[in-house]
Amino acid sequence: MRIGEVYKGKYRIVGYHSDAPRAIIRGDLVSQHFTAIVLNGGFGQRTKANQPKQFIKLNGLPILAYCLLALQKVANVEQILLNYPAGSKDQVEEIVRDFAITKPVKYVEAGTTRHDSVSKMLAEVKTDWVFIVEAARPFVSSKDFEDLAECEFKNVSLTLPIPFTVAPVDPATSEIVGSLERDKLRNIQLPQKFWTEDLKKAHEYALSHNIVATEDATLVAQAGLPVHFINGPESNFKITTPFDLALANYMMRGETEYDD
Amino acid sequence: MTKTLLITGASKGIGLATVKEFLNKDASISSIIMVARSSKAFDENFEALKKDNSRNVKLFKYEHDLAVESDVEDLLENLKQHEQVHIIINNAGFTKPDSIQEIKMADFHTTIAVNLYAPFRIVQGLLMQQKFPETIINIASTAGMNGRSGWLTYSASKAAMINMSQVMKEELAYFGTQVVCLSPGRCATDLRKTLAPDEDPTTIMQPEDVAEIIRLTSTKSGLALDTTNIVVRR
Repeated sequence: MRIGEVYKGKYRIVGYHSDAPRAIIRGDLVSQHFTAIVLNGGFGQRTKANQPKQFIKLNGLPILAYCLLALQKVANVEQILLNYPAGSKDQVEEIVRDFAITKPVKYVEAGTTRHDSVSKMLAEVKTDWVFIVEAARPFVSSKDFEDLAECEFKNVSLTLPIPFTVAPVDPATSEIVGSLERDKLRNIQLPQKFWTEDLKKAHEYALSHNIVATEDATLVAQAGLPVHFINGPESNFKITTPFDLALANYMMRGETEYDD
Repeated sequence: MTKTLLITGASKGIGLATVKEFLNKDASISSIIMVARSSKAFDENFEALKKDNSRNVKLFKYEHDLAVESDVEDLLENLKQHEQVHIIINNAGFTKPDSIQEIKMADFHTTIAVNLYAPFRIVQGLLMQQKFPETIINIASTAGMNGRSGWLTYSASKAAMINMSQVMKEELAYFGTQVVCLSPGRCATDLRKTLAPDEDPTTIMQPEDVAEIIRLTSTKSGLALDTTNIVVRR
């Protein structure tokens, strides 16, 4: 399967338990109610800014605002759970107020790790469905959430094909130790959609197996639950480094500036 | 026929001519919100418009003095009853030309309040009501590009309006809002009479000429214009 061929496809993320039951519940999707977990707790050390990266201005707006504005327009999002780095609750609340976010927002202090933050916020979820998204993805659109909601699968992550070679290595010896088939690998993107119960089960599994996950789609797969992928837009990248920030500014302004 | 248009300074001059222009020539407009200070002219012109309204466009008359901060807030309260505002035309203008030595700070404050703060606050207030306009048209002036002796407060306020428009244009592109800044030159209005009392108004550009250009910028072909600062002069 070549990369170009998978673009519109919907495939399953293969976990450690490949015999996990495949649950497709197409009929239940009509009356979906979502809670959006917005991961906003990072300090952004890698962006080398003097403040958490979600507060950095991108084309004049704080990065966090973009994600909230996208969620505001998604009809079946009932509540937004928003975490904040310790000491910056006021700043987060001000952004929610200034950008006139009218969806109910509940604030949760960030955990010690990303995994911990998701666990803490998951405990607050009252709806059957959740979205997980990161504040550091300013190019996320309402359509990304709608595509996930409409997808027939229960647990779904946006992903991107990997257009380059990824090699397994031994960091201790600096040796390349084999090869990986890139057609069988995907770059995991956010947002993701989960059946709340499944995500809770996956976090219980993590707790009992001492797993600290870096994201939740692979955790759900590890827990033996079905999780699928669809393709997300390439533009929906996460701002991590100063380079990302420069690129994001270029992309935002690129749409408004004249070419000549 | 579904769009709502908001225009300030609508009781006379370029504002009134613009209302007539949209009323008669833009079939997509279903509501026009006219904002101006209360005056006999506003009453009479509004009544006349109601009689000459063959498409049955809903006309709203809001009497607010944009020099007064609380009045601008009252306007925003009134706007809550409108589901959406598709076109905002910030047209209201104030001037009190004086030499530098004679300028009263109170007049300078009024000039900035009407010509700069009010247009800003109307846009900000609507955004905070989750109303994202398709088009914002800010009426600046050629006086904002070239300072003239005796026009310090007005020139300064309009220069600020031109730059504010550039920022709005960049920042609101994300929301799909087209921002137009239009700088009319000499135009036969009451404000012009204040600026140049000895001029014969029949020899200069008429409000209807500017109104036609304003409507053009809000059309699909108007999108092709470089709207950063359109100069309209004759």
